[in-house]
Amino acid sequence: MACTKLTSMRVSRLLLSALALTVAACSDKSASPAPGEPVTIVFKHGKLFGDPRAFDALIKRFEDNHTGIRVRTESLPASSDEQHQFYVINLRAASADFDVMALDVIWVAEFARAGWLNDLTETFVPADRKNFFKGPLAAIRYQDRTYAIPWFIDAGVLYYRKDLLAKYEFEPPRTWEELSNIAAAIKQREPGMYGFVWQGKQYEGLICNALEYIWSAGGDAVRDGRVVLDSPENRRALGFMRALVHERGISPELVTTATEEPSRRIFGSGKAVFMRNWPYAWTLFEQPNSPVKGKVGITALPHFSGHDSAATLGGWQLGVSKYSRHPKEAAVFAQFMTSAEALKALALAYGLNPSRRTLYDDPDLIAAQPHMAQLRATFEHARPRPVTPQYVRVSQVLQSEFSAVVAGLKPPEDALASAQHQVEAILKR
Amino acid sequence: MKRLGFYAGLILVAGYCLAPVLWQLITSLRPAPELTALPPLLPSRVTAEHYAAVFAGHPFGRIILNSLIVSAGATLIALGFGSATAFALAKLRAKGQAVILGIVLATSMFPPIATVSPLYIVVNALGLRDTLIALVIVYAGLALPLAVWVLTNFMRQVPDELYAAARVDGATPLQAFYRVMLPLSAPGLVATGLLVFILSWNEFLYALTFTATTRSRTIPVGIALFPGLHEIPWGEIAAASLVVTLPIVLLVLLFQRRIVEGLTAGAVKG
Amino acid sequence: MIMSLRALAAKPAAFLAPAAVMLAAVTVYPILYVLWLSLQRHSLIAGPASFVGFDNFARLIGDGRFWNALANTVYFTALSVAGELMLGLVIALLLAHAFRGYGTMRAITLLPWAIPTVVAARMWEWMYNGDFGVINYLLGTDVNWLGSPVWAIHAAIAMDIWKSTPFVALLLLAGRLAIATDLYQAARLDGAGPWALFRYVTLPLLRPLIFIVLIFRTIDAFRVFDAIYVLTGGGPANTTETVSIYAYKVLFQGLEFGYGSALAAAVFVCVAAITAVYVWLLRRSLA
Repeated sequence: MACTKLTSMRVSRLLLSALALTVAACSDKSASPAPGEPVTIVFKHGKLFGDPRAFDALIKRFEDNHTGIRVRTESLPASSDEQHQFYVINLRAASADFDVMALDVIWVAEFARAGWLNDLTETFVPADRKNFFKGPLAAIRYQDRTYAIPWFIDAGVLYYRKDLLAKYEFEPPRTWEELSNIAAAIKQREPGMYGFVWQGKQYEGLICNALEYIWSAGGDAVRDGRVVLDSPENRRALGFMRALVHERGISPELVTTATEEPSRRIFGSGKAVFMRNWPYAWTLFEQPNSPVKGKVGITALPHFSGHDSAATLGGWQLGVSKYSRHPKEAAVFAQFMTSAEALKALALAYGLNPSRRTLYDDPDLIAAQPHMAQLRATFEHARPRPVTPQYVRVSQVLQSEFSAVVAGLKPPEDALASAQHQVEAILKR
Repeated sequence: MKRLGFYAGLILVAGYCLAPVLWQLITSLRPAPELTALPPLLPSRVTAEHYAAVFAGHPFGRIILNSLIVSAGATLIALGFGSATAFALAKLRAKGQAVILGIVLATSMFPPIATVSPLYIVVNALGLRDTLIALVIVYAGLALPLAVWVLTNFMRQVPDELYAAARVDGATPLQAFYRVMLPLSAPGLVATGLLVFILSWNEFLYALTFTATTRSRTIPVGIALFPGLHEIPWGEIAAASLVVTLPIVLLVLLFQRRIVEGLTAGAVKG
Repeated sequence: MIMSLRALAAKPAAFLAPAAVMLAAVTVYPILYVLWLSLQRHSLIAGPASFVGFDNFARLIGDGRFWNALANTVYFTALSVAGELMLGLVIALLLAHAFRGYGTMRAITLLPWAIPTVVAARMWEWMYNGDFGVINYLLGTDVNWLGSPVWAIHAAIAMDIWKSTPFVALLLLAGRLAIATDLYQAARLDGAGPWALFRYVTLPLLRPLIFIVLIFRTIDAFRVFDAIYVLTGGGPANTTETVSIYAYKVLFQGLEFGYGSALAAAVFVCVAAITAVYVWLLRRSLA
C-alpha cells in the first residue's frame, strides 16, 4: 500500500511537469498562416441527427471548390439552451476558436447587440434575399443591418389522425373550437385516447405554443415597439390553453411537462388524435415499424374564428463571429452552406427544411416530403417571436407566467398583467 | 431471525439501488418501435442495436478513454495534495487549522455556473482549451475540499503514538507520512478516491465549456451529443449510460477488496 | 542542498503548499472575480459595466422570484439531505459486516452515484412520464409527477435521494470500518445489545464523519443545478426553481452578469450560514 502511495506521489509530480509542458505545447494561439497556406475555419453547430456522411461530403465539396480554405466542423449538444450558454461564455471571453456559428432564430438580435456578430449586410445581397422566407429575414436584422443568413426553418404545424377523422367523418379542424369538439367526440368513442397533445413544459417551446394561440386570436406580445401582453385577445388565448387541460380534458395533464419528443412519442404510439409539433416528426411517423404509419396528416394550425392561423417561426441561421481571424473566408463558407445546393442536400439527408422558398418546387424534395406544399404555405406565414436583443430575457418572464396559467396556478388575467409589467421594465432598459 | 432481517435489508437496499438501473437496462434492450410501449414491461424481443449504435455513431471508445485519463489524473492529484494537506493539519500541528479548513470549505460553496465563466477566461488565456490537462486540474481543484476534510478526519483518528513512534525510529515527517499515515488512512483514501473519480467521471458543465472536439471530450458531453435538434434516441442513451458505469463498477470491485484486506491483515489499531 | 530540502519537507507549509496553489488557481480566483462582478451592473447587451456597490443585493432582497427560489432550495435541501443521511447510515451499517457477495453489494450500492447526473435525470424523467413512465405503471397511478406544482419538487427530491445516498453510505461505511472491532467485542462482552452498540460505540465515533457528510451534502444540495434543470427546467411555474437555476437563467438567458453573480454570492452566504450552524451544533454536542 505504501508503494502505491509513493507511486501516486511520483505520478502527481509527473503530471505537474506534464502540465508545464502542455501549457507550452498546447498553446493554441495559431499564428496567421504563411501566404499560400490554406486557412482553417471552424464551423460550430448543433448536432445534426443522422448519417454524418452527407454533411461531410458537403464540407468536402466546399473545400474542393475553395482550395485556400479548410473547414473543421465541431458539434455542440443539440439543446438550444446548452448552445446558448456555450456561446455566451466563449464570446464573452472573445474566443477566436470558431468562425461560423449556427444561431437559433431568437439569438441573432441579442448577439448582434452584444457585438459578437459580424455585419453581413454586404455579403447577404438583396438580390438573393427575396429567395428566402420573410420570417427569418425579419429575425436576422438588427438596427437595419443584417447579422446572419437563414439556414433552415421550422414552424409549428398540426398533426392529425386522418384515419380517425375519416372514420367519424370529420374534416381537419380550422378553428380551435372545432379541434376541441372533434377531439372530445373521438375521445368518447375511442377509449384511452388523448385528444390533443402539445408542449406545455416551462421552457422556450411553451412560448412557441402560446404565441400560436395568441396570434391566432388577434393578440400579440410586442407590437410596434409597445408591449401589448395584457389584452382581451391574449386572455382569451391563454384561457383556452388552460381550458384544454383543466376544464375540457382534451389535453392530458402531462402536457405540462411535455417537450417535443415526449409528445411526439405519445402521438406516434397512436394515443392521441391531434398534436402540435414541428415538421420533423412526420418522417419518424412514416418509419416502417411506426404504429401510425400512413395514418397521419399535416395541416396548418387552427385559429380563433375571425382571425388567421399562425405558426411560430423556429430554425437556425449562420453567423460569423466578430472574433474570427478569417472573417472573409467565414462569410464565404456561410454563403455556401446557405446556397440552394447545400440546403437541398441537407434537406434530403437530415430532413431540415430549407429557408429558401424556391426549393419547395424541387421535385426531389417533394418526393421525399409529400407535404412540401403545406409546409411552404405555413413557412410563408410563420411569425418570428419578438425580435429584440432582450428576447431571451423576456422569454424567461413569459415562461414563468404562461407555465403558471397552463398548470392552473394563475388565472390568465393575473399572469398577463404581471408579464406586461415585467416585460415593459425589461424593454425599457 | 436476525440473519433473516439482515438479508431482507440487503435485498431491499439492492432493489432500491438497482431498480431504476434495471429499467434502464430493459430500455436499452428494447427495439426502437417499442421504446414507449408500456403495458408490456418486457420487450417482445431483445436487441443489441442501441449498443451498436453507441459505438458506431460516435467515437465513444475515445470518449471513454478521455474520461478515464481525466478522472484518474484528477483523483491522483486530489488524493496526493489532499492527503498532504490532511497530514499537515492532523499531525504536524499546522497553525490556524480551523481557518484553513474553513477557507478550503468555503471555496466549494459557490455555484459552478457562476464560476465557469471566469475560469473559462483563464483556461482560454492559457491556451488550454480542448485539452485533457485543463479538466484534470479543474476537477482536482474542485475535489480538494472533500479530500482535505475527509482525509483530515481519518488521519486525526490515527493515534498520535503511532506517528510519534515512527519519528522516534528516525523517520522524517515525509517518510512517516507515506509509511505510516497513508496506509492507516486506507479506508478514507479509497472512499474519497472513488468519490472523486466518480465526480470527475460525471461532471458536465465544465466539460461542456472547456472541450470542443473528441480530443478532450468526456462522457457526459458525449452523451449530450446523442440527441438531434428534436429527436432523442432514448435507447442509445440508455445503452450508453450503462456502458459508462461498467468501469466504475470494476473500479469499486477492485478497490473494495483492498480495504478489507488492509484492515484484516494485522491492522495496527489500538 | 539535500539537507535543507529535508528541513523544508518537514515544515507543515510544504505539505500545505500544493493544495493551496491548486485551490488558488482553480477556485479562489474565479470566486473573487464573481464577487467583484456582483458589485457591478454588467449586462452583456447593455453597454459597458459600471460599479454599483450593493445595488444588486438590494435588488435581490426585493426580488420575489429570488425568495421563491430560496424557499424551494431550502425545502429541497432539507428533505434531500435528511433522507440521504438516514438511508445512507442504514446502508453503511448493513454493509459493515462480512458476508458472501460483499463486493457485489458495495458495487451495487454505488451504482446510483456512478451514473452521470444528466443521464440519471433523463432516466428519471423517462420513468416519471405521465403516459409511458414505469412509475405510474407499477404504482397503478396516474399522477403527473413532473408537471404538477405539488409533486414536481418531491419527484426531484426522490431522485436526488436515490442518486446521492451512495455518497453518504460510502463515506460512513469507510468510517464505520475504521472503528476497531475490539471496541465492539468489549462492549458486547459487557452485555450491550445492538441499539446500545449503535448509540454508545458507533454514533459517537462516527459523529465527526457524519458532520462532514452533512456539510458536503448540504453544500451540494443547496447548489443543485443539473439534476433539476434536466428534470423540470425549474417548472412548472417556478415550483422547482432553485437559486442556482434562477442564477443560471439570469446569467445565461438574461445575460446579466452582475446580478447573476450577486445571486451566486447569495448562495454562498446561505451555505456558509448553514455550515456555521452545523459547526456550532457540533461544538455543542461535543462539549
